[in-house]
Amino acid sequence: MKISKKIISNLKEGGSDFFLSVPCKLLANMITILEEDKEVYYSAIPREEEGMGICAGAYLGNKLPCIMMQNTGIGNSVNAIVSLLQLYQMPVVFLISYRGTPGEPVGAQGAMASVTEEILDTLRIPMLRCNDEKDLDKISTFTNHAKVIEGPVAILCNFNLMKDD
Amino acid sequence: MNRFELLNLLQNTIQDELVVCNIGLPSQELYKINDRPNYFYMLGSMGLASSIGLGLSLAVHKNVISIDGDGSVLMNMNTLATIGNRAPANYTLLIVDNGSYGSTGDQKTFTNERTSLKNVAIGSGCQNVIECSGEETNENLKKALADKNNSYVIISKIKSGNVPIKPIPLNAVTIRDRFRKEIGLVPYL
Repeated sequence: MKISKKIISNLKEGGSDFFLSVPCKLLANMITILEEDKEVYYSAIPREEEGMGICAGAYLGNKLPCIMMQNTGIGNSVNAIVSLLQLYQMPVVFLISYRGTPGEPVGAQGAMASVTEEILDTLRIPMLRCNDEKDLDKISTFTNHAKVIEGPVAILCNFNLMKDD
Repeated sequence: MNRFELLNLLQNTIQDELVVCNIGLPSQELYKINDRPNYFYMLGSMGLASSIGLGLSLAVHKNVISIDGDGSVLMNMNTLATIGNRAPANYTLLIVDNGSYGSTGDQKTFTNERTSLKNVAIGSGCQNVIECSGEETNENLKKALADKNNSYVIISKIKSGNVPIKPIPLNAVTIRDRFRKEIGLVPYL
């Protein structure tokens, strides 16, 4: 719970005030925290691509949205990221549970993990890789960076960082 | 009544509401009929008009109308479940259901066959789902906008067909900025 608390606290410190999630067991504690948080909007949603649309609308209404999802969700959302968030220059924070990284017990998750960073690179999305607790201190600055560059940024939380939280 | 005629008719009802309009011909027709800064024209991301409008309605107090199409809703049908569970009272989804993919040459959609978006919306938990003719759409939209306690989904059954039209001569960031100015937002940074 300590890591999850720190992540949410740093996202909020960076300005995020509107949260969506498509669930992952690594995100479960963060979801619990957000469900009880009265300061920000939070909802679960069925699909990441739809979430990109909801985030775009929330940004138009002056929120700084954060969508929490597995790295698989990037694959579901490429067109929405490029032809909506990037075309209109809309800041959105992607908080990604990076399935398939070392520690992952499900072998099949390795497939999407092996292409995740290349996809984000191709989309020119800045990445913050969080491997251990001290990396979390960079989250608030990185969240604000989305506003500065007026586009999406991605925070990748490795399996081993989250698994015992 | 086709889409162009319906969008023309709606101009009597829409005033300062925030409108998110579907990609392609719907936005191009709306631009030609009556361009306004409170119209957000989609230039990409087919399927997400309803979702963009939902996110906006959760962030502002003004009335928000998403003008979507049957083909686009079929592409992002899970959004009806999110709307059914999360739409605030200032949200109205208007689905222009002409049974065809108008922007790509009027190929038929499944609403021409066995699919009923009304039944999908009701099954998804949407409140106040109204299916009506093009002619009845204006009065139902007025009712939805006047109701401060409930969200609405209006499915307007019209004929397919398009008018000759050009792409919108506005770039995305211009559309974004004039729309946000209309909401009354100060510069973001």
